[in-house]
Amino acid sequence: MNKQDYQFYISGAIKLGVSFGIVSLLARWVTGNTILSSPETLLKYGMVGGIGYSLMGALSLILFGMVAKRIRQSFPHHLTIGDVLRQKLNPSGYWYMICILLITSLDSIFVQAMGAAILLHIVFPIPIYLGMLLFLFVCFLIGGMGGMQRIHQLASVNVTLIFAAVIIIPVYFYIQNGVHPVFEGIKLYHPYLLYFQNTDAMLFIMTAILIGFGQVIIDRSTWQRVFLLKPAKVQLTFTLAGFIWMTIPLALSSLLMIIIYSGSYDNITSLLFELINRIQTTLFVFLFILFCFSAISAAISSELQATTVLIVRNILQVFLSLTNRDKWNLTYLTSGFICVLLLVVVSIFSPSLLELLFFFGHMYASLIIPMLYIILSKGPIHSIIPFSSLIGMIGGYAFISVVGNFTAIWISFFISGTLCSIVWIYTIFNNHFNK
Amino acid sequence: MISLESFSIYIILCVLAPLIGAFTLLFLFIFEKRIDLIEKEKKEIAIERELQMALYNQLNQEIQPHFLFNTLNSILSLARLDRKKELVYSIETFSKLLKFKYQTNTNNITVNDELTYIKYYLEIQKTRFRDRLFYEIEADEDVHQALIIPFLIQTLVENAFKHSFEKHIGEAFLKVTVKKCSQSIQVTVWNSANNQAIDDYNEVGIGLENIKARLHLFYSKETTSINLLISETGTTVVAVFPYITKE
Repeated sequence: MNKQDYQFYISGAIKLGVSFGIVSLLARWVTGNTILSSPETLLKYGMVGGIGYSLMGALSLILFGMVAKRIRQSFPHHLTIGDVLRQKLNPSGYWYMICILLITSLDSIFVQAMGAAILLHIVFPIPIYLGMLLFLFVCFLIGGMGGMQRIHQLASVNVTLIFAAVIIIPVYFYIQNGVHPVFEGIKLYHPYLLYFQNTDAMLFIMTAILIGFGQVIIDRSTWQRVFLLKPAKVQLTFTLAGFIWMTIPLALSSLLMIIIYSGSYDNITSLLFELINRIQTTLFVFLFILFCFSAISAAISSELQATTVLIVRNILQVFLSLTNRDKWNLTYLTSGFICVLLLVVVSIFSPSLLELLFFFGHMYASLIIPMLYIILSKGPIHSIIPFSSLIGMIGGYAFISVVGNFTAIWISFFISGTLCSIVWIYTIFNNHFNK
Repeated sequence: MISLESFSIYIILCVLAPLIGAFTLLFLFIFEKRIDLIEKEKKEIAIERELQMALYNQLNQEIQPHFLFNTLNSILSLARLDRKKELVYSIETFSKLLKFKYQTNTNNITVNDELTYIKYYLEIQKTRFRDRLFYEIEADEDVHQALIIPFLIQTLVENAFKHSFEKHIGEAFLKVTVKKCSQSIQVTVWNSANNQAIDDYNEVGIGLENIKARLHLFYSKETTSINLLISETGTTVVAVFPYITKE
């Protein structure tokens, strides 16, 4: 493929097999959220919550693998989620979905950037904005300018660092200190973690799976990878990626035990990064910092690349007739702009990551059935399908104060699901009687 | 509250899990290509075996003795009648037909080659059926270099003769169409025999099943199809498979 061609930026030059496909998906999905939210979950819902968080990611990827197989078969010549939406939806539905994608994209990158900012604050004694400027510049070079090719070149390094850290550090610590002091410490300071019968956690796990699947099914960068995988290997790749991904939050939860067993904690969000102060060996501190930066930078680079592609290919190109050169220039401008925006936003806001995840949970949950409808349906799609997610979202938010956040997320899911089912039945009857 | 033993098991699980994940990934990196290669070889062997079987069937069933004798008798009559020009042409065509039939041992050939072979076959049938036989071959310009499994169209054309034209007297019309539809190739073989003339559906079915099995070995099931349509105006067989060129 010609390197000047814009398709090179979107897809790179290679088709992915199972192994490299898994590496690419792991580099995308081991994110700041994984590092920061999984400990938060463990502390809020105990060990069941920790296992539930791992299950959430694994099941989301495995379930999406089943859909991805169909996507690859039904749309063999497309490159992005926007291409598919453009083919299947009418203009109003298309623009609505693009807006949703844009909002979720920016939210997702913002969460990663937050993670990076917290880490920078803990590790380096320099102002956050300066550290973030440097960090985002690296992400801009990888995802914004390098495109898929560069992301894939670094994916193996990222995954190697991730596994090196989550394997070596817990093994080293538990061999050196044993499990007993950790158990006694947790029993003393955080006994609630050791209870398994936690009904809240079950609802949390089920809701988290729903949100996780919603997140994956509208993730631009994951869709790009679906189109990069060899058709026969799509489902297997996602299934194995799900299982392998599951091992990482599990290992992180064992790391968290090391941090909290000797006392209380101040800040739940930055808890895992406290590990830096607990590890005695400089090499392991260095490895842990590298792991965190590597995971977050890989996720931001992938998100940045996918969001830029969404803006240039699926928004700007609809209005403007662009040459390859124009597309490249607009790509640099767009990704640069997103990085500057992130720098500003991260300096101003600091919400809880898990809260943010569940705030956008309504959006993710209400999008599942409409997206499945778009992917699985063969004929033209009724214009209400994409908008059913909006109705679901509004319905969910309206019930938050009455039934609580988790149940409201399920309400969002059921409202959009019911609307889609009604449209589906109506379409079947309509087609039947028109014949 | 969980006991120390359960907690230890949980920690062991958490610590070992990424090790298992990393080993799985490492295993895939080392062996994926080999697994692919083994699968490819397995598929190739199956295709090869299927081709051999198809060739065997071709040689044993489709070049039937009666076809051979009828052709030789037709050629003999040309010699007796001293129609030297036609005689030479018939022997030449027959020789080309046999040469193609015995030399084709690849898994796929171009549509162009397959159609050339069909033409030889139809030319020989023309010496037998004379004015009774009318045939037409239509192919899109861009399908000539596309790949097709050997003897696919040939099997359908021979079926038309075997089950229709040879069983009833009267004019015999045959039309072969090969066209490109989106990313697929559609081969249509139509003959003028109506459903009354086809008296052995099982045998036709076996021929079509053979083609279907061979198509599935080359392409995924979702991308291929083969259908037999019988109407008052004639019998049509439509085969669809992906468009792949020699490059």
